[in-house]
Amino acid sequence: MDIRSIVKDYDPYVFLISVLLIIWSVINIYSASFHEFSNLYIKQIFFSLLSLLIILFIPRFVNYRKLLELSFILYILGVLMLVFVKLFGTTVLGAKRWINLGFFQLQPSELMKLIIILTVAHFLSKIQLPISFKNFLKLIGLIAVPFVLIKIQPDLGSALLVLLPVLFMVFFAGFKSRYILVFNLGILLLSPVIWNHLQDYQKSRIIAFLNPEEHSKESAYQIIQAVIAVGSGQVIGKGFLEGSQSKYYFLPEQHTDFIFATIGEEWGFLVSSLLVLVYLFLSLRILYIGYGLSDMGGKFICYGIGSLIGVQAFINISMNIGLLPVVGVPLPFLSYGGTALISFSLLIAIYQNIYRVDRSISFKLVSSEVQKY
Amino acid sequence: MVKIWKFNRFHIVSILFILVAVVIVSRLFYLQVIKGEYYRELSDRNYMKVFITNPPRGRIYDRNGVLLAYDIPTFQLICFPYILKKNHSVEEFKHNLEKYLNITLTQKQEEMISKNLHPTVVVKKELTQDQVFRFWNYSYLFNGLYIEVVPKRVYTEYANYLPHVIGYVGYPSEKDLNKNPTLNINMLIGKAGVEKIYDHILRGKPGEKTVLVDAMGRQKKILWEEEPEKGNDIYLTIDIRLQKIAYESFKESGKESGAVVIVDPKTYEILTLLSYPTYDLQKFYQGMTLEEWKQLTTNKYKPLLNKAFSGLYPPGSIYKPLVSLVALENGVITPQTKILSKGEFSIGKYVYKNWDKRGCGYIDVSHALEMSCDTFYYQLGLRVGAESISKYTRLFGVGEKLNPDIETKSGIVPDKTWKKKVLKTSWFHGDTVNLSIGQGYLVITPFEATKMVLPIINGGYVLKPNILKSYFDNKTQRLVHIQKEIIRKMEFKSYNVEAVKYGMYKVVYGYAGTAKVMGTVPIKNAGKTGTAQVYTYATRHKKYHRWDLRDHAWFVSFLPYDDPKYLTAVFVEHGESGGKVAAPIAASILRKAYYQKVID
Repeated sequence: MDIRSIVKDYDPYVFLISVLLIIWSVINIYSASFHEFSNLYIKQIFFSLLSLLIILFIPRFVNYRKLLELSFILYILGVLMLVFVKLFGTTVLGAKRWINLGFFQLQPSELMKLIIILTVAHFLSKIQLPISFKNFLKLIGLIAVPFVLIKIQPDLGSALLVLLPVLFMVFFAGFKSRYILVFNLGILLLSPVIWNHLQDYQKSRIIAFLNPEEHSKESAYQIIQAVIAVGSGQVIGKGFLEGSQSKYYFLPEQHTDFIFATIGEEWGFLVSSLLVLVYLFLSLRILYIGYGLSDMGGKFICYGIGSLIGVQAFINISMNIGLLPVVGVPLPFLSYGGTALISFSLLIAIYQNIYRVDRSISFKLVSSEVQKY
Repeated sequence: MVKIWKFNRFHIVSILFILVAVVIVSRLFYLQVIKGEYYRELSDRNYMKVFITNPPRGRIYDRNGVLLAYDIPTFQLICFPYILKKNHSVEEFKHNLEKYLNITLTQKQEEMISKNLHPTVVVKKELTQDQVFRFWNYSYLFNGLYIEVVPKRVYTEYANYLPHVIGYVGYPSEKDLNKNPTLNINMLIGKAGVEKIYDHILRGKPGEKTVLVDAMGRQKKILWEEEPEKGNDIYLTIDIRLQKIAYESFKESGKESGAVVIVDPKTYEILTLLSYPTYDLQKFYQGMTLEEWKQLTTNKYKPLLNKAFSGLYPPGSIYKPLVSLVALENGVITPQTKILSKGEFSIGKYVYKNWDKRGCGYIDVSHALEMSCDTFYYQLGLRVGAESISKYTRLFGVGEKLNPDIETKSGIVPDKTWKKKVLKTSWFHGDTVNLSIGQGYLVITPFEATKMVLPIINGGYVLKPNILKSYFDNKTQRLVHIQKEIIRKMEFKSYNVEAVKYGMYKVVYGYAGTAKVMGTVPIKNAGKTGTAQVYTYATRHKKYHRWDLRDHAWFVSFLPYDDPKYLTAVFVEHGESGGKVAAPIAASILRKAYYQKVID
């Protein structure tokens, strides 16, 4: 494989950005964890190499249409894994999110993000668009199962990230607005009535379900420390490995959810705002390619991937700079976590495959019927 | 119209994303460029520090309010290396520490401080008063150092009579911390015994103070503070006077190993629970030398094991009152039925002997209990059937954890299905014969010996045993009593119960009774001895006299006879004879308790 074939077969922008992000992730995780004598960065190196292989080779050997046809089986497998994790998973800090495979802790909710995009894309490509009310209900059922299973782990962050890309996909697909509007309005209007009829203990259960971390001092501490870390980076940062916030244990979870704060502290405004723009470009690029495609399946996968990357990155960064409460969402590609890195690489690989297979045909065949979605 | 729609969807999302990115970049600009200086200063000079205050654990008292365990505060010196190093060099710090506080840093501590491996380092635990005063006087030399109050558990001398019941405390392991994120590493949690079982009552809640400190390590502002909550005091059902007497009597007997359980049959409150030998609780908790630890763990009398709850032994003849009642209730015999009981009993070619070769003659059930006549029970067991005996035994609560919090093990009550499942063979008549005198596959914990008698003397009630009498709830400022809990009630005919009780009475006062020594207790009482074989082959044929091959000695007893208030079970591991070893210990305990006015 030479450079030329990469330029020809792959989307060069997306390819370059994802590879650079993956390499950079090792550097940052080293900085965030070396002082604890931890070997996390070695594991990250391993997963990064695996991810690079995935991005390079999977687009050539796996056809995304086959994956779409298999999507329902994948969906069932994903749900089974989530049930398994609830029953036998490893408990860390009160949440059951991982399946221990000995050498590696598998986090099924990360894989579910990928699977749900494939499943919904497949579903949308098979039905009449815009979405009818009946199909809309089916879709709700499809998302509800993994959403609830992840929510009860408990992992509100991942549950939201299963839901949000689907909302974007539904938005792109369009719907017979009347029914769905009526449906949503109905729920909106009825909810205070239902709410008033609930017992106090039921209400408090619902509040706790929606926001378990409401009263947690922990998250207030995290946010303050993260904001100090980011702010103290100033324009050009304190320099690689020089972040005092992160090195002196002020900043918790700095290799996972708060990796952006470490970046902000060590690399400063110029790099961190560039990073924001990179995420923006990456997600818009994928959405744009999807927009031009004729194959409905590929199109909706692109919409799903693009919005997932954008939404997840922006939620995580907002959390790091005090714009959103802490919900436990990692930064795509950069946060530590083997399953997350692999599933994002798989998403990129699928995207590249779509780009390779579909783009040549679709840009010639742009009809008004296709452009509608 | 259609054209506008298709144009919009992609663009709406793009615009949305761009707007969010703009907001984020502006926020970054605000934080890093406009307020950058301010935050840099914050991160350089001001630090948030979290101080955790661990509250004292609740105290442990006996039922009469005798103190068994409590907490005292100790002071420990901790250090925040980051602040320390901004103010002093490590060399200078080490020098001052030795000069003024007489503390020498270990190599490891020095390394931890100089390399910033941990947010805090404990410099010295359990400071003396002098060291605390000196630290305050010279605190300007020690920026970044703080004194923390850490509770320490103290066990009174009385606690040494029941170390197995009390258990011990320790710092949480990594596993504990993972399981319960509200714990912290400086917090004492129960690791065994009531310290562990009632940890949720005793523990209390740590306080947390987050403060802003300046570059010198001085507190500038308290950001948020949560007061610690003291743990609740608990009152055990144990009567420490009785426990002490039990310990002393067992010790005087010269026997090596065993258990004593005394309960109130009306409430099933545990008044005494002794596992012998014991160990020094305070030493155990504060750390012992390797030598001492080795001695404890390799001792063949297993001082660390709570035998009353965790040892499983065949009960022998103390099982007979239960078997008698089952036979009477099933109508197989009446209190007047007499059975000829010879010196031996045979099924086919197998011969089962009586412990007394002469046999017992033509006797009724009370008489059989008095003489502990094995051949009588062989025949009775075959008439009643093993299934029925096992069923009733289980109904009595044997083989079941009536209170799973405190009972660590439960016995095995064998029957057909059990044998098929575990030993993969079928049930023989010989098994029934063995079961009916409490031998064979039947094993119980010494505590369960009380279960075999309890419903006979309290009107058929199977109760939940309790070791916790009450606790003082600090929140509501009320003493919470643990209520008696009835698990089930069995209906027995009173003349059947009387026949069994009378048989047990004759064990003490009858002509042929096996525990006449109990007659020295000034209260009218009744009981049953038991001598359980351990290893038939070796003991019978090779005449071994190794300690671990000798028979187990048992004695169960209740008093006063007419309205039982105390049910006692004595177990002597490899004590050889229920009548000659276990019963005298019980007699000694109850006699002393009577003369010291502990029981009446």
